[in-house]
Amino acid sequence: MSTLLEVRDLSTHFHTQDGVVKAVEHASYEVDRGEVIALVGESGCGKTVSALSIVRLIQDPPGKIVSGQVNFNGTDLLKLPRQAIRKVRGSQIAMIFQEPMTSLNPVLTIRRQMTEALEIHRGMKSQEALDEAIRLLERVGITEAERRVKDYPHKFSGGMRQRVMMAMAISCQPQLIIADEPTTAVDVTIQAQLLEMLHNITKDLDTAIILITHNLGIVARYARRVYVMYAGRIVETGSAEDVYHDPRHPYTVGLIASVPRLDEPRTARLVPIEGQPPDLIAPPLGCPFHPRCSRVQNQCKEGAYELIEVAPGHYTSCRIAGKD
Amino acid sequence: MAIAAESARPHHTLWGDAFVRLRRNRLAVVGAVLIISLALASIIVPLISPYEFDEQNLNAVLEGPSHAHLLGTDGLGRDVFTRLFYGARTSLAVGIFVQLIVLAIGLPIGALAGYAGGRVDNLLMRFVDIVYAFPDLLLIILIRAILGGSIYMIFLAIGLVAWVNVARLVRGQILTLKQRDFATAARAMGGSGPYITVRHLLPNSLGPIIVLITFGIPRAIFAEAALSYIGIGVKPPTPSWGTMIYNGYQNIFGAPYLVVFPAIAVGILMLAFTFLGDGLRDALDPRERR
Repeated sequence: MSTLLEVRDLSTHFHTQDGVVKAVEHASYEVDRGEVIALVGESGCGKTVSALSIVRLIQDPPGKIVSGQVNFNGTDLLKLPRQAIRKVRGSQIAMIFQEPMTSLNPVLTIRRQMTEALEIHRGMKSQEALDEAIRLLERVGITEAERRVKDYPHKFSGGMRQRVMMAMAISCQPQLIIADEPTTAVDVTIQAQLLEMLHNITKDLDTAIILITHNLGIVARYARRVYVMYAGRIVETGSAEDVYHDPRHPYTVGLIASVPRLDEPRTARLVPIEGQPPDLIAPPLGCPFHPRCSRVQNQCKEGAYELIEVAPGHYTSCRIAGKD
Repeated sequence: MAIAAESARPHHTLWGDAFVRLRRNRLAVVGAVLIISLALASIIVPLISPYEFDEQNLNAVLEGPSHAHLLGTDGLGRDVFTRLFYGARTSLAVGIFVQLIVLAIGLPIGALAGYAGGRVDNLLMRFVDIVYAFPDLLLIILIRAILGGSIYMIFLAIGLVAWVNVARLVRGQILTLKQRDFATAARAMGGSGPYITVRHLLPNSLGPIIVLITFGIPRAIFAEAALSYIGIGVKPPTPSWGTMIYNGYQNIFGAPYLVVFPAIAVGILMLAFTFLGDGLRDALDPRERR
């Protein structure tokens, strides 16, 4: 499979009054055509910022992409002029946001919002775009799409709005969809349904997905490769199988232990990761996880960050695990 | 099938839907009817009144309301009824045209400042501050002195002072709205800054803007009245409610109706615009369900 997106050494910082927040530090990841990868980590670890940086949707000021490359089909998106990056957004790289309740404009009908991308990127006429919008809505499972397309967002439930967001995301048949916690705000019963649907549609279109989530269950089911982020850095990466069954970084181990599992007795207690996520203005020296790590050793408190290959295609930044 | 459904249902646009909702709001309809009938009355008043607005009858000065003069006569023996409706022309025109000027200046400046941010925002807002800090009346008088005397110049002078409130409001609205998720979503979809501002952000701020505008109309009417009082407003004998009130003021003890009738007229018009403004605000918010 050929590489669709290659993020190399990406760093995004936010300049605040208290100092520079290093939200993403030297993150690198790759997405092949039609592949689903997952970015995993707790809140504030830089998942969303790293994804928004790909299409340069970081508010500047205060945010700034300070280094790195984002090669998409061989062109560096970070070097494109503004006009050109706008043509990529929505048409080649689409996004699905976490909050379906606020991601749709409340004063515009679904029709107006759905036909926007079709008219901007695919040059459709009004009627043509309407027909396409109805077809897309039917595809994401909105019943009576012809009638519903004229409604305002407040007449839709959260799950249905997220379907609409998905329909909008696939409307220009993008090569990549960035799904930022697409099901976090949705009812548990709908989550699987929505993801299954998105997965099927994108498989048909051969669209790659960057799935941003903290739900490891979702990761195991859909993603081929997983990138675990902590404090703006990628601390472990490998195939979903490897990371899930043979986690090397103590942080990944902690993440997996903190999720309830159906295949274990219900009496087993969940193990939280103690402590708070680090201050990203002045992150700990050495491994950023060391203040919370149960296996911490002296060598963890200094030294540079690097990913070590512990098994074929399985990398971690943990030096202790690397020596096992 | 899609085409059949399309033609069977009324077209749903922001304004179309708003109109449907507005019609269900009784107070707003009352306000709109009042404003429209006043406008119509001011147009047809020459047909229904036997008097001219500047026709003096010095044998019948300061007469109270009677069959001949429904609302009495003023100090020069002019028919108050006729003058009141001619005055409505001036007042309505001042109110509406001033707000059009206010919108034409305030909306783009506020939107630009809000969306562009940074240095552009700073520059524009400091300019707004300067205009705002200047005493209104003084500025209007200054602009009047430069622009000259026609009634359109009065509109322009009041408008050039009053736009700052709208500019500030629009800027504030755009500033908060552009942080909302749907604005980010629209950017992620490939919309440009101006496109997002016009298509997504401004429609979301229409409600407060319209309310401010409707409250601005009576304020403009009062501003015109004040100007007329100090002699740089509408030139006599053209009547405006402001001139009528201030002229009547001289005889307030002998002929209080000279103040009362135009004051009631101003009050009713203000109320009508307020009802209509409130109704429009609700109607333009699709989340409002009735």
